[in-house]
Amino acid sequence: MTRSVEVAFAVARKDLTSEWRTRELVPALGQFVVLALVIANFGFQIDSQNAATIAPGVLWLALVFAGLVAFGRAFAAEREQASLEAMLLTPASPVAIFAGKALAAALLLIACEVVLLPALALLFGTPLNVALVAAVLLATVGMAALGCLFAAMVARVRAREVLLPLLTLPLWIPFIIAGGQAVQVAMGASGSYNQAVALLIDFDILFVVLTSLAARFVLDD
Amino acid sequence: MSTILAHQLTQRFGPDLALDAVDLVLDKGEHLAVLGENGAGKTTLLRILATAARPSSGQLELFGLNAMRERRRLRALIGFVAHAPGLYPALSAAENLEFFGSLHGVGRARVAETLELVGLADVANRPAGRLSRGEQQRLAIGRAVLHDPRLLILDEPDASLDSGGADLLARVMHGRSAVLATHDHALANRLCQRTEVLRSGRSLGAGTRLRVVQ
Repeated sequence: MTRSVEVAFAVARKDLTSEWRTRELVPALGQFVVLALVIANFGFQIDSQNAATIAPGVLWLALVFAGLVAFGRAFAAEREQASLEAMLLTPASPVAIFAGKALAAALLLIACEVVLLPALALLFGTPLNVALVAAVLLATVGMAALGCLFAAMVARVRAREVLLPLLTLPLWIPFIIAGGQAVQVAMGASGSYNQAVALLIDFDILFVVLTSLAARFVLDD
Repeated sequence: MSTILAHQLTQRFGPDLALDAVDLVLDKGEHLAVLGENGAGKTTLLRILATAARPSSGQLELFGLNAMRERRRLRALIGFVAHAPGLYPALSAAENLEFFGSLHGVGRARVAETLELVGLADVANRPAGRLSRGEQQRLAIGRAVLHDPRLLILDEPDASLDSGGADLLARVMHGRSAVLATHDHALANRLCQRTEVLRSGRSLGAGTRLRVVQ
């Protein structure tokens, strides 16, 4: 168990170091989410009455598409460099390798959310509070686990850019429903925040366990 | 106990037969050269031996263990140099080895020793993406021997190495069993005791190095 944790952290550290040095993904994702918010701001007639209704939808749209890019790159880069096979040909557990990749991808998406949430508050005039941040972070965990699993699955096929959203988006819907409800309440709408967050935690546990079980079969040929 | 005992290894990719019922035996400490033209099945055979691919049919035992069932255990005993170096360009040579060392459970002292062995101690802190192709190949060879494997599988490792490449290969192959795929008959003759010639996925038979050179 300790060995698997060490491997997962080594993989995550390697991915984050590579991103820090190349700055390939996070700046582009940051620009993408800001542009998405600006376009939505022009596209909708935003006023103080409807901002809290429209903003959550815009937030999840930006987050979902940024996530697809972030998780897709997690394994595509390894395949392009032919380094995934080198990693898998070690005695390290494929589940630990997968966990490390998912952890790094989740942290990169969180870095993108650091830009997204204040930009949303600025452009839509919505509150930025702990409840909102917690809901988005909880959704990120499960989305990262699922996104990385499918990214690993499609990384070896040519049409991966098309396949990844087709496979991932339907399974992200529970996070968007529960997360959307939690975010709406955090922005001032009526409803039960605790119930939505409890559902998010349940989904996180369920999908983290399921993806960990499946990762072995996906990564090990 | 043989290091490699392969029986009727066959690999199909759709309708194509990449490897056709190949038998292979390699004893402890023995070096075997796999020769053949492009598309002969050398890489397919080596990938199966390295547990990177599963054969369509046939049996493979490595160190007396079933290679299909004991893959993770065997991977601690095998070092594989593939066609592509498979390195992380943003990480330095030392960081690349340290990362793979952490997956193998190997300490940093061994990383420094390995960099010295493959002649990269002077460029240890240079990003792998800024190393020459030959230096990248040396680093890939270093990664393959980092965990001191008992079996080394080398897929055309000489392709980008300079004139000192043969000496480097001799150093890393010394004291362990090795399978070397190459187009260079002279290199095979120098480094290996036996040869296996493949054509269109079929074995044309094994022989001593003298037989092939003649």
